[in-house]
Amino acid sequence: MLAACSLFFAVLLTSALAAARPRAYIKKLKKSQYQLIADGKPMIVKGVCYSPVPVGANHEYDWWSDPNKPWMTDGKLMQEMGINTIRVYQPGPNPEAVRQVIRDLYANFGIRTILGNWLGFWEYPAPFYGDKAFQERFKKEVLDMVKAFKDEPGVLLWILGNENNYSCLGQVNPWSSDEIDKEPDPQKQKAMRFRIYYSFVNDIAKEIHKLDPNHPVALGNGELIGLEYAKESAPDVDLVACIIYRGKTFGNLFKSLKATFDKPILLAEFGADAYDAFLKKEDQNMQAFFLESQWRQIYDNLAKNPEGEGNCLGGAMFEWTDEWWKHNESDPEAWKVHDTGSNWSNGSYYFDIKAENNKNMNEEWFGITALSEETESGLNKRMPRKAYYVVREFWKNPKPLPKKKGKR
Amino acid sequence: MKKLLVLMAALSLAIPLCVSAQEPAAQAPKEFVVYTDKNARDNHFIPSGWMGDTSDIKMNDQSAENPQSGATCIQFVYGAKKAQGQGWAGVVWQNPANNWGSKKGGFDLTGMTKLTFWARGAKGGEVIQKFTVGGIKGTYPDTVNIEIGPVELTDSWKQYTVNLAGKDLSYLSGGFGWSTTADLNPEGATFYIDNIKFEADPAMKPEGKKKENMPFYVYADRSTAGNHYIPSGYMGDYGDLKYDGASKEDPYLGDTCIKIIYSGKITQGARWAGIYWQNPANNWGSIDAGFDLSKAAKITLWARGAKGGERIEEFKVGGIMGEFSDSDSASVGPVILNKEWTQYTIDLKGKDLSYIVGGFCFVLNIDNNPEGAVFYLDEIKYE
Repeated sequence: MLAACSLFFAVLLTSALAAARPRAYIKKLKKSQYQLIADGKPMIVKGVCYSPVPVGANHEYDWWSDPNKPWMTDGKLMQEMGINTIRVYQPGPNPEAVRQVIRDLYANFGIRTILGNWLGFWEYPAPFYGDKAFQERFKKEVLDMVKAFKDEPGVLLWILGNENNYSCLGQVNPWSSDEIDKEPDPQKQKAMRFRIYYSFVNDIAKEIHKLDPNHPVALGNGELIGLEYAKESAPDVDLVACIIYRGKTFGNLFKSLKATFDKPILLAEFGADAYDAFLKKEDQNMQAFFLESQWRQIYDNLAKNPEGEGNCLGGAMFEWTDEWWKHNESDPEAWKVHDTGSNWSNGSYYFDIKAENNKNMNEEWFGITALSEETESGLNKRMPRKAYYVVREFWKNPKPLPKKKGKR
Repeated sequence: MKKLLVLMAALSLAIPLCVSAQEPAAQAPKEFVVYTDKNARDNHFIPSGWMGDTSDIKMNDQSAENPQSGATCIQFVYGAKKAQGQGWAGVVWQNPANNWGSKKGGFDLTGMTKLTFWARGAKGGEVIQKFTVGGIKGTYPDTVNIEIGPVELTDSWKQYTVNLAGKDLSYLSGGFGWSTTADLNPEGATFYIDNIKFEADPAMKPEGKKKENMPFYVYADRSTAGNHYIPSGYMGDYGDLKYDGASKEDPYLGDTCIKIIYSGKITQGARWAGIYWQNPANNWGSIDAGFDLSKAAKITLWARGAKGGERIEEFKVGGIMGEFSDSDSASVGPVILNKEWTQYTIDLKGKDLSYIVGGFCFVLNIDNNPEGAVFYLDEIKYE
């Protein structure tokens, strides 16, 4: 009888403790190593950025409400590959449609959803992070999102912003304030912008924690730029979600983060395109080569791996499908064409760096599945590229490559 | 019987094979000569690949002026007149003559572990930016590209060694070479080379990556042999930039400084411009040639504006991304220059500087310098 009672109380206590734990949280291990725990189990984020815009449409297309439910077709393919998470930059306008997508993916394929918010980065003329009214507007937008979806079992975490930190350098969407304008030293101006922006993010993170203790909050950041200021101004974020395009290697990213802002990292956007801008033809091998190398390094830096820093939680590849609207955003006719033009250069993707003007990055060719103009059940037919299979095989058997002496 | 015949036939073939297997193997050559004397029969490669300001070079390959050994040595006179406007010149020994990789003519020098040569300057103090082995590209590229330098010559003969242990020498059409610049030799240079040869020395071991000692200069003075990296990586509106590495306009230290003129004409339409100091020149991460600067805690430089108020968006180290990317990057900026020399420091503590191809960089733009900018740099060094 006594034994039965003990067992009963033990079960009760375990259940109570489990109930008290957040659905998803980050566990800090020794030596500043970190692990993501979801529903009581360690989880490696094997993710992909998801924006299934069909051929002929652009980013304004509300795919969440697509009656053909692209996420059901994609979810099956993703599950077969081993993907366990999608990252979306911002939910669609209809909360019920968003809820349905999150539920469908989780219930049918076990795929979780990371939801984010741009924090007004694409506002025109500029995001005024120093303006209280601007801050309140976007804080409300984020908190409304959290309130709407925090109880969905499929939600994994929240990401605040994306590459908004570049605006503090004045390179993209530059902004200022009266106080900043009074400061004559441009280095101090830069520091002021970073402090204002990261304090704003921190303020939202604190509010989210009050509303939703069940999910971690990430600071979206381009590279590690500015994080020395986040250390002072954004201590309440749980992790950083970095956007990194460094070709085959992340270099000393993981170590460098530990030295500047000791938080876990999710590679929230990384990858490679599948078009050789020099030879002017599709090159699936090139994309597969980079993606496999990148995943290898992510795995090297997961918790408990002696090869790395132990502060990586996983990543979200950019991206699931090609997006045909991106090269020429303003021309609806161009959205129907798979453009091979390039808008930017990145020497880390060195196979085709000898392209004209070194422009080798092809925005419309980042999908690990290509789209066909041919449709199937109302959707552009999905054609997995080589990277799909290479990454799938790596995840099945993620052994590190043996270290070569004397080679970088 | 048929079986026996077959067996005998097999044995008759096997016996000579066994005998020959017991004979000592042919001796691998211990050296492969590039030049010993003008008409030496075992010379290989031809000093035909003249580069840069070719009209500034004079060569006498049968100079009898105090050869290191034998009857002749090779005399080079580099005039540093910038005859073709390049500011540098050099010579590559090729096989066959004038082969820049378009013809199949490479030697297989597998087994050699070093290249040695003797060199001296006419006066002493002449600076050769680099001596090279391999490096020819084209359809039939060399399997290695190795260099040593800068080398400051003495007025007496001195032997130099290029370590080739562990390198792939299976195809070399560019056996040896030198190049130097007018900046390093403002008055020109006369120098002599003798006894160039590859050697199979079993004592040579592959070189590990050397951690460079501090201070490690990017720029001290125009002619300083200890300068590293080449200001070759022009970016953005590169037509707006004029670089003078030998300005005598009030240098901070020594007799020269760097003068940069940014015209702000937006020649390429970028609205910004900058220069990377690279190793070797024009290396955007395609050549495995980074320095290990792990011992550095900071990089310092002195800068001043011609008027004061010129704005530099950043001074930077590292950050070149390619097949062989820099291991890290660090920067300071934006900075507004004073009219007086001011020291700027980039803190490198905690950075991974184990592999740096892009040793230094500056970037500025038209928006913050609407009238263009003239500024000066000096004493750029890792410490």
